[in-house]
Amino acid sequence: PTATVLDIKALFHKSCEDEEVLQTLPVGTTASFYFSDLGPQLTWGTVFLSECVGPLIIYLMFYFRLPFIYSPKYDFTTSKHWIVHLACMCHSFHYIKRILETMFVHRISHGTMPLRNIFKNCGYYWCTAAWMAYYINHPLYTPPYYGQQQVNTGLYIFLFCQVGNFSIHVALRNLKLPGSKAKKIPYPTKNPFTWIFWLVSCPNYTYEVGSWIGFTVMTQCVPVAFFTLVAFIQMTVWAKGKHRGYLKEFRDYPTLRSSILPFIL
Amino acid sequence: MSAAAPGTSKAAHSDVAPKRKKGPGALATAYLVIYNVVMTAGWLVIAVGLVRAYLARGSYHGLYYSIEKPLKFFQTGAILEVMSRVFLTWAVTHSVREVQSEDSVLLFVTAWTVTEIIRYSFYTFSLLNHLPFLIKWARYTFFFVLYPMGVTGELLTIYAALPYVQKTGLYSVTLPNKYNFSFDYYTFLILIMISYIPLFPQLYFHMIRQRKKVLGHVEDYSKVE
Repeated sequence: PTATVLDIKALFHKSCEDEEVLQTLPVGTTASFYFSDLGPQLTWGTVFLSECVGPLIIYLMFYFRLPFIYSPKYDFTTSKHWIVHLACMCHSFHYIKRILETMFVHRISHGTMPLRNIFKNCGYYWCTAAWMAYYINHPLYTPPYYGQQQVNTGLYIFLFCQVGNFSIHVALRNLKLPGSKAKKIPYPTKNPFTWIFWLVSCPNYTYEVGSWIGFTVMTQCVPVAFFTLVAFIQMTVWAKGKHRGYLKEFRDYPTLRSSILPFIL
Repeated sequence: MSAAAPGTSKAAHSDVAPKRKKGPGALATAYLVIYNVVMTAGWLVIAVGLVRAYLARGSYHGLYYSIEKPLKFFQTGAILEVMSRVFLTWAVTHSVREVQSEDSVLLFVTAWTVTEIIRYSFYTFSLLNHLPFLIKWARYTFFFVLYPMGVTGELLTIYAALPYVQKTGLYSVTLPNKYNFSFDYYTFLILIMISYIPLFPQLYFHMIRQRKKVLGHVEDYSKVE
């Protein structure tokens, strides 16, 4: 009875408020805890890292044209197109940024996720990274139709959205004070990239989609477009969920905001 | 209302089936005719059944809830079957002329037709609340033979189509092209064939489990009476 929930939690995987002492919970003198064992769990941090490290390495394997991927006469050769080098830099930058953010910026509230998810998620991210990388780094890759102009446009969109995405992550981090579990509404700060908070609840997703659109324009590659589309759909689902959560939590939540696309979605 | 999902998805089939009559002989044609008649009638009955159920309840809310579980079940189970059938019909049999005179086509057509006739009678009778035990029994027993028969026919047909696909590069896209994309239909077909290995046993054992559940209950029921 004088054990805390944390002690019991140490034995099982259930999630509950760690600090509550059993005796003070409004459950009378005998309470029955029903536990569902969700199986082996991994922290979100671990999952995010493996999801990001995979694509980073896999893309580089294709970029350097390791053996058994393309025809043997192309092994370890490099592309003659500048865009291919640029694409590699952008892709790698994106994932390195993500890894660093996971390590130093994000404050993850949920404790863990089931082991099965990591296989599912990693499988998806790793396979699509390989699929994209295969075509972009292929010896028969065709550079974009509108040439340098198209590449530059795509690049600017990509960079703009990467900075935006990072700004949002920092802004969200600053919302949460370490130790406190209080939830707050995110608001625009002095950073112009956060001004999108006037219009959107989850601008981190907005910027992420933008980055991938930029990358698609830059590489003019159907698998990239496909990946962007799927990512957009998935992030819209997440954004809508988050948006609904905000609306439920806060009575005075700004009504102008939509979940991911200003005024549209 | 469990018929709702297969009803809508199978409606596509009744349009698709007649177009395949380029190769198969009189026997297959007869089966296809019966097949279409049953399908059309079945779909109409399902639609009528839905309207009746709605009128009886008076609102949409309960309606969905009552069909939700069976809908999800049939949707998920049926989707695999539907996809495989549409694929077989259009992407293999219709597209590869050489295959249309193969015996394997007759094999899976027969299997599908018999299955569907039983299945649609099953749904029809269920909706009218007059399900003869024979139909229920047939549905959950015939599959023992019909599933392997259908699968064998399908696999043989795909296999027969392979050399032609490789020779002509049907539905395939090669590099270089401005979309930086490629697709090899030949490899795709082989992967499809391989996918039968995990998929078919799952479906088969699922039906066996369903059989135990459905026919098991009925046996208890009759004992009580």
